[in-house]
Amino acid sequence: MMASQDSPGDRATSFQAVQGGQTEHYSGEALLVTAYAIVWVVVLGWVALMWRKQSALLARVADLQREIDKAGKDKA
Amino acid sequence: MKGAPGRTSVPHMAAPRNRSTDGLFYSVLALTTLTFVVDILYIFFKVPTEARMGIVQKIFYFHVPIAYSMYLGATACFLGSFAYLVRPTDGRDALAKAGAQAAVAFGLMMLTTGPLWGAKAWGAFWTWDPRLTTALLSVLIYVAYVVLRSFAGDGDGERRFAAALGILGAANLPIIHFSVQKWGGQHPMVITGRGGGLHDPAMGVALTMGFVGFTLLAVVLIWAQARVEIVRARLRRAEEDAIDLGLDMRSEA
Repeated sequence: MMASQDSPGDRATSFQAVQGGQTEHYSGEALLVTAYAIVWVVVLGWVALMWRKQSALLARVADLQREIDKAGKDKA
Repeated sequence: MKGAPGRTSVPHMAAPRNRSTDGLFYSVLALTTLTFVVDILYIFFKVPTEARMGIVQKIFYFHVPIAYSMYLGATACFLGSFAYLVRPTDGRDALAKAGAQAAVAFGLMMLTTGPLWGAKAWGAFWTWDPRLTTALLSVLIYVAYVVLRSFAGDGDGERRFAAALGILGAANLPIIHFSVQKWGGQHPMVITGRGGGLHDPAMGVALTMGFVGFTLLAVVLIWAQARVEIVRARLRRAEEDAIDLGLDMRSEA
């Protein structure tokens, strides 16, 4: 962003005044889109985690059901 | 399952399905989606661009309601934790756990959308401003809660310890809120304290819709997460009952 300085080494050894006005800035559009995207990525990530937890629970319910059925058959 | 001929009875498997509750959940979910669609279109096509900051100011319409939603999650965690310490139940513990997870998720959103706004407004993504620092501290407390619940087991002792942490976490919320008034700093105070307010009616409408949308989203996510946690607790007890009845339950998820 600081175009007047070439390398990290230059930046560590000397400071120079900016020429022709402030050049460091961020694009408002890019920041806005990134912010909105992050919100939905976090929400979708949470929903995906919840989905995974539910799948794990369903697998445990299926295991339990199988064992109950097996025990019922053995009893009969 | 209970009472079926030739079958072993597992008491905790009885999970009543309430159709009216399901209907209410899906209605809230639909309303949440509708609110966000309308709000996003309104923010981008109707609300004017702010004069001094430009288009990046539109982050405000999500960032502030997200911060408020983090408070909602933290409040749910506090209420669930306090209620659990008074009288322990799976439902109360599930509310506390779901609230803490909501606080982490919304806190993460808050701590990313805020710095993106700050990059333009302050020229820096982060400063150790009192509000930013106390907000970060609060999110870290709820991260600690979630990590504790994920790795420390699900016994009564662990639940009680987590409940104490859930109550402690809530103590930081008023500090975040009043930090700007008490210690100053760079964080804006547009709609609170000595703030000048929103000068265009459309800005107020967009912010209000943001508050409604994120309140509904917080309710939907906490509700869904709490239901998952209740089912998990019930299933764990059913598995313990099954083992007591002599069934072979070796596959632990």
